[in-house]
Amino acid sequence: MKYIIIVGCGKIGKLLAIELSKTANVVVVDKSLKNIDSLGDDFNGKKIWADVLDVSNLEAAGVGEADAIFLLTGNDNLNLVVGKVAKRKYKVKKVVLQVNDTVKKKIFNEEGLTIVNRAYLIVEVLKKCIL
Amino acid sequence: MYIVIAGAGRLGLILAKKLQEDNHQVCIVEKNEGLCNKLAREISKVMIICGDATYPDILREAKIEKANVCVSATSSDEDNIIVCYLAKELFGVKRTVARVNDPNHTPLYKYMEVDNPVDSTSIIARIVEEEASFTDVMSLLSIKKGRLSIVRVDIPEKSPVANKSLKEISLPHNSVLVSILRGPDIIIPYGSTIILPGDEIIAATLIDAEKDLVKALIGKI
Repeated sequence: MKYIIIVGCGKIGKLLAIELSKTANVVVVDKSLKNIDSLGDDFNGKKIWADVLDVSNLEAAGVGEADAIFLLTGNDNLNLVVGKVAKRKYKVKKVVLQVNDTVKKKIFNEEGLTIVNRAYLIVEVLKKCIL
Repeated sequence: MYIVIAGAGRLGLILAKKLQEDNHQVCIVEKNEGLCNKLAREISKVMIICGDATYPDILREAKIEKANVCVSATSSDEDNIIVCYLAKELFGVKRTVARVNDPNHTPLYKYMEVDNPVDSTSIIARIVEEEASFTDVMSLLSIKKGRLSIVRVDIPEKSPVANKSLKEISLPHNSVLVSILRGPDIIIPYGSTIILPGDEIIAATLIDAEKDLVKALIGKI
């Protein structure tokens, strides 16, 4: 089974965590206890209430062994910093991060980082609606 | 030198004033508009850019490519790291310095190649610890992974070395008295120097000899 870390348990993080936990080992990390608790019984994985900017917490979440890490907090800069470190230092194979700002998405695009921009995605979907 | 400072909190502001007094050219980038207006009234000769320094356009506005140093002193660690990263990677700034807000985040600064992360919390904690210290011995500095340490020892009334000259006392091997702090005076001791109760002694010692040194100076451990 794949080992996946999800950082940020907002709306998207939560849905993704529940979905992926059906077929993979999932660890969810969030600094808000409320968000962690919101996962409920549908989620079948590990929950960690911690600050990911502290690398010891990242390590406790098993970043060294992870097949993939998703950075889905609402904070672009945090997602970028942790994403870069996950790639550079811990050599996580797949690093996926949500970045809301389009300029930063371009600058930080590098090999091994998949940067997802929500506005861009929605625009794509909306365009398809009228095709 | 030309220095760009991100974040005009207390630290950013003091720094800007100091640097400007030393005739450096300073530019402050601050995202809080109200604060920017206040600064503009308060300090002259410092360029102020109102905007979020984690955006390259704002940094470009601050002419960061011309900066010798970029200092990021915002209250958010992720922002500080991004500012320094952009300054270095995108604009080729040679030296980046950042304020570390949470000491637990220090490794992240190192991994992201911030040249000089300054962990003010730990620095202050050490100073406060020293000032408030209840113990008579304080380790000031350790060198070579702790093998050599510089310690401060307060001499109590009943110390076996009180009111004796250095010639008269015997210290363990591998330790040496560096100086005596007496009130405002700093004394570099000679053989004839007399140690008084209340003196603070700075000594260098190998770690194995530290306990014996403390015993010799205080009389107990």
